[in-house]
Amino acid sequence: MASSPDVSSTGNTPGNPGSGSPSEAPSSAGAGGERRGRVRARRAAVMAVPATLVAAGLAVLTAQGALGVQFAVSGMPFTVTATELRGTGFEQFGALDNMAEGSPNAGDTGGQVLVVTSAIKHATLDKLCQSVDLGGTNLLITAGSGADKVTATDLTTDSTELSGNAAFDNIEIGNDASTLTKAGVKGPIGVFSQQADTVRIGNLRQTNYATTAGVFKLPGLKLRFSDSGC
Amino acid sequence: MPDRPRQGARRAFRGWRARRPFWGGLLLALGGGEILLTEKASLKVVMHIGMQGLAGYLLPTLMLLLGLLILFNPGQRLFYSITGVLLSLGTWLTSNLGGFLLGLLLGVTGSCLAFGWLPDQEPRVSRRKRRRQARAARAAAPEGAGTTA
Repeated sequence: MASSPDVSSTGNTPGNPGSGSPSEAPSSAGAGGERRGRVRARRAAVMAVPATLVAAGLAVLTAQGALGVQFAVSGMPFTVTATELRGTGFEQFGALDNMAEGSPNAGDTGGQVLVVTSAIKHATLDKLCQSVDLGGTNLLITAGSGADKVTATDLTTDSTELSGNAAFDNIEIGNDASTLTKAGVKGPIGVFSQQADTVRIGNLRQTNYATTAGVFKLPGLKLRFSDSGC
Repeated sequence: MPDRPRQGARRAFRGWRARRPFWGGLLLALGGGEILLTEKASLKVVMHIGMQGLAGYLLPTLMLLLGLLILFNPGQRLFYSITGVLLSLGTWLTSNLGGFLLGLLLGVTGSCLAFGWLPDQEPRVSRRKRRRQARAARAAAPEGAGTTA
């Protein structure tokens, strides 16, 4: 860019380095005639500083559990663990997840994964840990390890693996998935399903393909990259 | 580097790029795209959650559009970039913590670059060169130093 400008044309620039004034000095003849649009650092900072403050504020409020965030993830497998999950309004049924057309995760599955869909109306999770394998490194999200627990409403997960010590209240097993009522999600007709009023799962471990939650409150949020997953 | 002869297409692209906040628009559009990639929840679930679930898609889509508008309609870049930075910050709440932070950072950076961009600027001169030239100017013509400093 700096194509050896002569002294006369740039002699005035030290007077206003980086100032946003568009007033131009008589330099049209010099500088090789190359005049481009440029980012002025001070002008950009006018927006960058408040934006950074707001972003930091959002992160802090989320980490304190004051602000709920929404999640909608799918198409890539990720692991969720929690030492304890308590929920009211629980449903579970089998389903078939379709990946996006030509997804690199499809492999030899033809782009379809058999999953167990679990829906929980209100859930409380203790020591939540969520990790996504990004190839070589893991994105790790942990929350709720302090006194405050992670809470989620309308939590729906499509899992390929689910393990833990479960206890249910008022469970109905063998319903048709299209007649479920407890959590407000209806499955496909003619599929085995179960539902319960309350659920409690200790040492939960799920491998998920999709998660959505209306509102997730994540007190004590930590977002980091790590070599090992959950 | 800049004086190397260039082919027509590359030269034209360079000129086109010089007349708009290229990196700002590109980063904002990329940020929106990244957030959209991280959330591909099936439409049925989104409908179940309702308006909140829809916002998770609406915000990154608008980010993508605004990034493209900054590229193709740079005259309105102030409005686009201010809206873009607000949307980018909003995706923290609606869309997977802003596409797991990455899309949010891209969007905010892009918006700030677009906001700080001004057309028709002096060619960039490195600070050391500028200082050296100022010194040379002072030494050569002391009466001219009054206007510089």
